[in-house]
Amino acid sequence: MSEHVLPARPVVYNDAVVKKFVIACLVWAIVAFLAGVYIASELAWPQLNIAPYLNFGRLRPVHTSAAIFAFGGSALIGTSFYVVQRTCRARLWGGEALANFVFWGYQIFIVLAASSYLLGFSKSREYAEPEWHLDLLLVLVWVCYLLIYLGTLMRRAEPHIYVANWFYLGFIITIAMLVIVNNLGIPISPYSAKSYSWFSGVQDAMVQWWYGHNAVGFFLTVPFLGMMYYFIPKAANRPIYSYRLSIVHFWALIFIYIWAGPHHLLWTALPDWTQTLGMAFSIMLWMPSWGGMINGLMTLSGAWDKLRTDPGLRFSVTAVGFYGMSTFEGPAMSIRSVNALVHYSDWVIGHVHSGTLGWVAFITFGALYYLVPNLWGRKGLYSVRLAAWHYWIGTLGIVFYIASMWVAGLMEGLMWRAYDRFGFLKYSFVQVVVAEHPFMVLRMIGGVLFTIGAILMIYNLWMTVRSPATEAPRAELLPAGLPAGAVVAGE
Amino acid sequence: MDFETGDIVVGLMVAALGLLGLFLAARAWDDEMYLFGLALAGFAVLFDFGVVRRHFDRKDAALAARRAGHE
Repeated sequence: MSEHVLPARPVVYNDAVVKKFVIACLVWAIVAFLAGVYIASELAWPQLNIAPYLNFGRLRPVHTSAAIFAFGGSALIGTSFYVVQRTCRARLWGGEALANFVFWGYQIFIVLAASSYLLGFSKSREYAEPEWHLDLLLVLVWVCYLLIYLGTLMRRAEPHIYVANWFYLGFIITIAMLVIVNNLGIPISPYSAKSYSWFSGVQDAMVQWWYGHNAVGFFLTVPFLGMMYYFIPKAANRPIYSYRLSIVHFWALIFIYIWAGPHHLLWTALPDWTQTLGMAFSIMLWMPSWGGMINGLMTLSGAWDKLRTDPGLRFSVTAVGFYGMSTFEGPAMSIRSVNALVHYSDWVIGHVHSGTLGWVAFITFGALYYLVPNLWGRKGLYSVRLAAWHYWIGTLGIVFYIASMWVAGLMEGLMWRAYDRFGFLKYSFVQVVVAEHPFMVLRMIGGVLFTIGAILMIYNLWMTVRSPATEAPRAELLPAGLPAGAVVAGE
Repeated sequence: MDFETGDIVVGLMVAALGLLGLFLAARAWDDEMYLFGLALAGFAVLFDFGVVRRHFDRKDAALAARRAGHE
């Protein structure tokens, strides 16, 4: 470790843009969760499919895009701007206007993408539904995001680049590469929203799932690990358990994840060796994933008691537990024989939601409970009790959701492959659909519980910002001699 | 890049996007491209007004600080 002591110097961080992303994240959370509850209800009660705008086919990408790109993306860009400034002791590069362009450009991309799905425009590529013109807008915004991030890293006053920044930068660069390659296409005219993919046949499917799986890996995993590596040590007031392990975690994850996509196409026309490659790399992912999980959990060594008093930290640590669980389940599902049973079944939906609700949303909630009082200069949360209620209601919602989907998925897989003594299929498809009904209802209830928890959080955070009870005395906020809005870099 | 230069570069880039939006909306083949073009133009106008507003807010704040220093 470096011997020299860095002088404390005032840096005025650009927290205005971080606040905007935090607010957007909260708004999109509700949109995403409500859309999820509605489409879950449509699956239980098909009469709710009101044509054309509220059809499942049009609303489903609204839910996934709102959850992944709007809620998750706003959380990631906002926290990355917060983290990079503090760990580099530097204000965001490029000035206020560029940061604002990233915020507003990203938000308008999301609104336009959602409205285009409702109008019936889609490339029909999972998690990459926006048509070509929206992709170009996203690429422009993303390049500006990359420039700000790189510029801030390059002007850093710290000699070392903290590991959370590695994870965030890995996310920014890889997502740029994935989005550009997967969305290569030919518009029928520069004045039409319709385009066709550059690829065709099995190559098209392979490119799509190379993108699709790495959207999970590099959007829903890698940057949220960056969030974990910053906010858990901060909230627990402990150093990372093993910094060396965090570096190994980063490089192993980056190297292995990119090869795992073909496991989405097991038992298809994809060449056999490619399927085996995808399966082998998926199983190898166990090691770095669990290394990271252990590193996150062990950071709590000596501070486990804080879980009793800090619901935000409880969210973060539970999220790490869900990360471990879903990164065990994913490789297991990519084994050919297991995949033969569970693929195309609701088990996959349960797996995805144990990751998105348990890992992505919970680690974000933990970060938000830490961030909001700090960003708005409040002495603490408005109600720790309400945050604890949020935790338990949310956890119960996840349990309802994933348990019902596991059971439904196994049941579906077994019913689809059941034969009678004459070698005919024992069940028709509609019999399987009818058998699923109670599980669809249970899943919807899980979603409602999770949404109620999120509404409690928004109320709590709103009151944290507005209530006089959480007001911190000015002296607590600013070290002596600093102008308003300035903080000591490196805090 | 100082803040003012950043404002100018980003402001011009967004203005170009707005013009492109008007162009796309004018020649659109379908509703989606028409709405996209209009939205891009509207976004550009609002964003650039924001850049101008923040520029004058900063100047006003600097002026107020100077005046406070003289008193």
